[in-house]
Formats: sequence, C-alpha cells, structure tokens
Amino acid sequence: MRSRYPLNRFAALLILVFGVLVAVLKAQESPHSLWDGVYTQEQAKRGEAAYGERCARCHGTDLMSGDSVPPLAGADFLSTWNTKTVGDLFDRIRTSMPADQPGTLNRQQSADIVAYLLSANKFPAGKTELATQSDSLKQIQFDAFKQ
Amino acid sequence: MLGAALASASAVVLGQSAATNPDWPTYGGDLGNTRYRAFDQINASNFKDLDVAWRFKTDNLGNRAEYKLEGTPLVVNGVLYATGGTRRDVFALDAASGELLWVHGEHEGERGANAPRGLSGRGVAYWTDGKDARILYTTPGYKLVALDAKTGQYAKGFGVNGVVDLKLNDDQKIDLVKGSIGTQAAPVVAANEVIVGAAFVDGGSTSSKTTYKGYVRAFDVRTGKRLWIFHTVPQKGEFGYDTWLNGSAEYSGNTGMWTQVSVDPELGLAYLPIELPPGDDYGGNRPGNTLFSESLVCVDLKTGKRKWHYQFVHHGLWDMDIATPPILGDIQVNGKTIKAVAVPTKQSMLYVFDRVTGEPVWPIEEKPVAKGDVPGEWYSPTQPFPTKPAAYDRNGISEDDLIDFTPKLRSDALDLIKSYAIGPVFSPPVLSKVGGPLALLTLGTNNGGTNWPGGSFDPETHLLFVSSCSSCVVSIGMVAAPKEVSDMGYVKGTAGQPVVARMAGTGAGAGADAIAAAAKNPKTVPTQPPGGGTLFRALTVSGLPLIKPPYGRLTAIDMDHGEIKWQIPFGPTPDAVHNSPLLKGMKIPPTGETGLSVGSLATKTLLIAGDGTVGTSAAGVRGTVLHAYDKLTGKEVGTVPLPAPQTGSPMTYMLNGKQYIVVAVGGATYSGEYIAFTLPAQ
Repeated sequence: MRSRYPLNRFAALLILVFGVLVAVLKAQESPHSLWDGVYTQEQAKRGEAAYGERCARCHGTDLMSGDSVPPLAGADFLSTWNTKTVGDLFDRIRTSMPADQPGTLNRQQSADIVAYLLSANKFPAGKTELATQSDSLKQIQFDAFKQ
Repeated sequence: MLGAALASASAVVLGQSAATNPDWPTYGGDLGNTRYRAFDQINASNFKDLDVAWRFKTDNLGNRAEYKLEGTPLVVNGVLYATGGTRRDVFALDAASGELLWVHGEHEGERGANAPRGLSGRGVAYWTDGKDARILYTTPGYKLVALDAKTGQYAKGFGVNGVVDLKLNDDQKIDLVKGSIGTQAAPVVAANEVIVGAAFVDGGSTSSKTTYKGYVRAFDVRTGKRLWIFHTVPQKGEFGYDTWLNGSAEYSGNTGMWTQVSVDPELGLAYLPIELPPGDDYGGNRPGNTLFSESLVCVDLKTGKRKWHYQFVHHGLWDMDIATPPILGDIQVNGKTIKAVAVPTKQSMLYVFDRVTGEPVWPIEEKPVAKGDVPGEWYSPTQPFPTKPAAYDRNGISEDDLIDFTPKLRSDALDLIKSYAIGPVFSPPVLSKVGGPLALLTLGTNNGGTNWPGGSFDPETHLLFVSSCSSCVVSIGMVAAPKEVSDMGYVKGTAGQPVVARMAGTGAGAGADAIAAAAKNPKTVPTQPPGGGTLFRALTVSGLPLIKPPYGRLTAIDMDHGEIKWQIPFGPTPDAVHNSPLLKGMKIPPTGETGLSVGSLATKTLLIAGDGTVGTSAAGVRGTVLHAYDKLTGKEVGTVPLPAPQTGSPMTYMLNGKQYIVVAVGGATYSGEYIAFTLPAQ
C-alpha cells in the first residue's frame, strides 16, 4: 500500500530533525560563562561611547564616583551581580536607565553598554557580540569570579 | 474599627513614654529620632525564627518599578502608612495582614518631571486631635498634601482642596513648573504644625551658582497656613547675612534641610540640620563661612526664631552637609543630667550639644587646616573638631588605610595613589592635573561615613548606635568649567576628560512624571562627547577595594562618657574579596560591607539592621540578612534572610499582642518592597 506520506515529505522531516539537532548542539557550544568571552572589543568600544553619553553623568567616568549612585566597577558591582545573569543586568539597564530617561536605550545600546561594563571589569572579550534578546542573555551566568 | 482606633491615637512624644508606644507615629519612631522601642517579644532567643507576616511590592505605584525604596512606614492603631513607587504614592495597609486599604497619587506632569528629588521619598507624617486624623506628605513636585487618614481623600480645610503649593509663599519667586526644588524627606508633625524642608539637584558639578534657597517652613496642620519660615540663607539685615562675603547670599541658594528635622515638644524647640550651598566642592562664588550652611540650627517651635546654632563645617568643600536626623536623648555626664542632641555625620564625627543652650557637651576645638590651590577658592583657616567622642570611622586617607592583604597588592595601591592627593579630614580639594594629582581621594565626604539613614539611641542605657561606611572613597578633583556647562568657574571633574554637569542618584528626573515625559519625547540629549579612548580609571586594586578592611562598621557610643562602647565590622564580606583568586588560601576575617551606611532600630535588648549589600556573612552564607545584635555587646544573636539589601530603615510596632518589624528592601534585580516580620504562631 502506498504510503500516505510521500518521500519528499519524509525528506523534509529528516532535514528538520537534523536542523534542530544542529541548533541544539550549537547552543550547547555557545559560551555560558563571562569567562568564555561573551562580547567583542568592538562592541565594548561602542558601549564606552554610549556610556559616556548616557551614563557617565551620574555614574562618573571612573564608573564609581557618583553621589548616591551604585558603582559599576569593583567590589560592590561584582558582588551585587554575581550569580545573577547578564540578561538581568541588560534588562535592568534597558528598562530603568538612564534614571531620568528610562526606556530610551534600545536593545543594541543596552547590550553595548553591558559589553563596556564587562570590559571595564576585566572580563575577557571574545569573537561574538552580546545578543540583544533578554532570554538569550539570561543563559549567560554572571560568574563574577573565575572558579 | 478605624474611627474608634483614631480616637485613641497615640501621642508623638519623646523619652520613656515614646519608648513604650505600641505605634510608630513619626518617621524616627519619636520626634527625637531615636528609632527605639522597649519591646522584647522579639529577642535574642527567637529572632532567627521570624516569619514573613506580609510583603508589599511597590512596582505598580507609578509607571515602572522603583529600586530605591527608602521609606520608613508609620503605624497608628493597626494601620500602616507609607510612600512608595516612582510616583511616590501614599498608601494605607492593614498593619496585621498587609491588605491595601487606600492609595493616593498625584499626577504632576511637567512640574513632576522637573522634580530634583523624584521617586518614593522617605515617608509621611501623621496628625490627630483625637477626632480628625490626617496623613501628610510632599509630592515630588513640591506640594504638601493632607489626606484623611481613614479614607485617603483630601483633608477638608487644608490649603486649597487639601493641598499647599510649597513653591508659593516661600519668600522667593519660584517657577511653578520648571522651578527645581523639592524634598524626599518625610514631613514631621509636632504641636499641630507640620515642618517641611527643601532639597535640590546634586551640587557636585552644578550648572549655576544661582539656585533657589532651601528655607524651612512650618504650616498649620489644620488649615495649611504658613506659621513661620526660617531663612537658612539669611536675608539682608538678618543675623548671619554678613558671613556671605561679596553679597553672595543674594544669589546663592540650596543650604536646605533635606534630611529629617527633630523636635522637642516639651522644650518647644526644633532642630534643623542644614546642608551646604553650591558647589559641593567649590566655594569660590560663596566666600565666607556662609551661615547657616552645614549648621545645626535650634529654633523656637512656635515662631521659627533662632535660639542657637552651631556650624560643623566652615565654608564646606566636601559635601558633608548634615545628612542625618539629629538624635535627642537625655544623658548623664559627670553626674549631671543633660538634655542632649547628638548628630552623626558623613565625616564620622559625632557632635553632641546641650539641646537647651547649644553648648557642646564635650569641647569642640577649632584647629588649623590646610589651604588648597583651586583658583578663586576661599578657605577657612580652621575647622571644628569634637574632642569627644573620638571619630567613629575613617574620615581621611593615609597610606596606613590602604589595602594590605599582600605586599604586591599594597605596592600596587601605593602606585595607584601616586596620581592622587590624600590627607586627613578637611584636606582641601585639588586642581586636577593630567600629570597628577588627578584628584584628592577622600573618605567621610559626600557618601559618608554616615549618610541619611543616621543612627538610633537607647534612652535606657544611653547608647547611641550608628553605621558608617569605612571605605566609600570619593575623589574630588576640580576643573575649570566651560561657560556652556556652568557659571561656577570650577566644577568637579578630571583633567583630560570632558567637563560635564554631573547628576546624582538622588532621583532627579527619575519619577513617574519624568518617565511619562521622556516617553512622549524620546529624543535623547548626549551628556558627554564619546570617550574615544579609555575613560575607565578604577579606584580598585586588582578588583579589590583600595582601602583595607573593615569596609563598613557598626558602632555603639556610650553617651554618658563619650566613649565607643563597642564597634564591629558591619555587613557581608564582598564576593570580590571572598572569592578573589589573589587571596586564595588566606583566612580573611569578616570585612564588613563596602556600601553606604544603613539605618538601625533599637529595642529592649536588640540592635537591628539589615545588610546594605549582597555578600558572604560571617557564618559563610551568601546573601542578605537582617541582623540582630545584643545591644550591650555587639554580639550577633540572630539573622533573618532578606530577598535584597535593606534600603529603608527598620521600624517596629505592637499589634494584637504581636511585635512586628517592617523594613524596605530592593536593589539590582529586586524592585522596592516593604516586608513585615513577626514571630510564628505558637
């Protein structure tokens, strides 16, 4: 009896399964720690400019000299964000900063600023830029201290 | 229920009667800001068993979540009143269950968007005459609102439909929409009047030497009529005007009372803690000692007339302000009872006076201090130094204060500070130079030391408790300001970097109205040219704090003798230290935390305060907790986990035979929340 599923459909299914497998494997390869190089130097450079324009007015050019402003470098910053995710930091910046104009940083700018903060806090750069989707950034653990 | 309860509403008084008041009817627990209650249901044996009674999340009190919830709620007869959220809404909760009873918010549009102190503020004031009962608060846009405590509706007969516009009737002309003046402090009610101060945008790199003046006013709590005004910057012909040289009192402003006032209703006196005028670190435009900047001013409660004053800092250049609520308590010194007022400060010196006469309880000596090199600056040749108690924390930096875990870290720190100036308290700010010094590195200046949460006081043992940051380094470098940035001449900055008008994290433009305005007009204004090079200059050594532990302290001061009774590192060890590979294998004792000071609550046997940062506790547990200490020894006797750092100061009340503790928490990913703790049912 002739199959109700023609060969071309079977092939399509196979290709789909293969595609999903590849995607899963690729996802497993992607970095999940800050120490794997989760941003690029180029992105941090863009982030530095954005930081200067949008953040330095309160947080200072040294990232830690503000008046009643949480520092963005050093012991306090690392302790605060340790064990959270890069996505948590990204969302906090994207939704609540700058404090006097929250919501005016787009996803790309927010990701670039995160890259700059990581760079300023001496986390290594890598070959891939930080993504701009919260879900994907939440896969990156903020391991502030190398185990 | 509520009507009957209000009829027996508690009095807001000082001393022993306040100590047993089951309610918490004013910001500091009593008008002397002691933050004390003689309750002992929650004690050393059961503190660790505390359960969450209820939580109140403030996310929806405004158009986005807030992360800076600094309020201390009030509780009167079973109802809790507080402010919260980016709109600074006022709400009433059933204090046993946390159920919302009413909520009130003001939509102030552009006026609110221009507020120098947005966000949730520090709380409300309560008033009753036994029949009528009111809740009063100030909006971000600087209106004083009176609400019916029972319903949350505007109070009848107060101001115009329940509102007094604080931008009016202030002995100066203030733009009703654009005028940048406000306050985040809780108003305080005493003797049928409500006292209100003023705050401004941060003065670190202010754009102008000309600002509004921060006068203090009292209003009739029934009608809203102005009863008195105290000119914190004296007007021509008034005492102190001539301490502003070259007529600088005419244009200089700020000098406001942005923190909490204290009142002794029996003496009929109010104690006003006053900040400095602009700029925070440059005073070339305000030569002279400039009364009543950085002064404690005692005024008559009925008239606002000055009784006495004491200036803590002459011609301030460090943003020391007076940041904490003055603490009123009666002490025994050399066998004599003294009605005292004690003021913890950012510079970690405790100033103690006879609050009737203004005489220092222990001598305060004028000592010579160094002059600086900033062009146009005017320097006071001396500054006052209390002889007792000793400074309870660092208020300057010497090489001895630098990190010393290992010889390498120490030599790296010594290398780092080669580019900076250091020195003791009152060292002058420096002109920033590319070849150095880039800035003066300071401790005990604009971050403190002890900041706005202040301290607490036990009227039984006469112990005063205060938390302080021992490691909050602030760099003060001065640079010439281009005219388009500021007319100040010199502002805070670093040589070789763009000069910008700086803002602070005090909530300027951050409230719900500002957010709504930004959403309508999302065009952004660059605040600084792109860096084009590395802007980053960390004041850390391999990611570790530049200053050696302890990073933060909690201190008990015996006020009868002016001696430190006990002192402990306060707060968790930062992960940066606990997990540092550079310190692997070393046994580092608990360091205390690197954050700003936190508020405390004293009870019959305990001192209670929550971590202000996340880190690792002395017990080796990572997180954030509310601590209880034996108040006589500083020994920790219990902890309760908090979901996020303490951001407001803890308070307590008794209701239906149960003791509750409420504290505001928030930070990082955790938006503002009030949490109530009580003991589990037996």
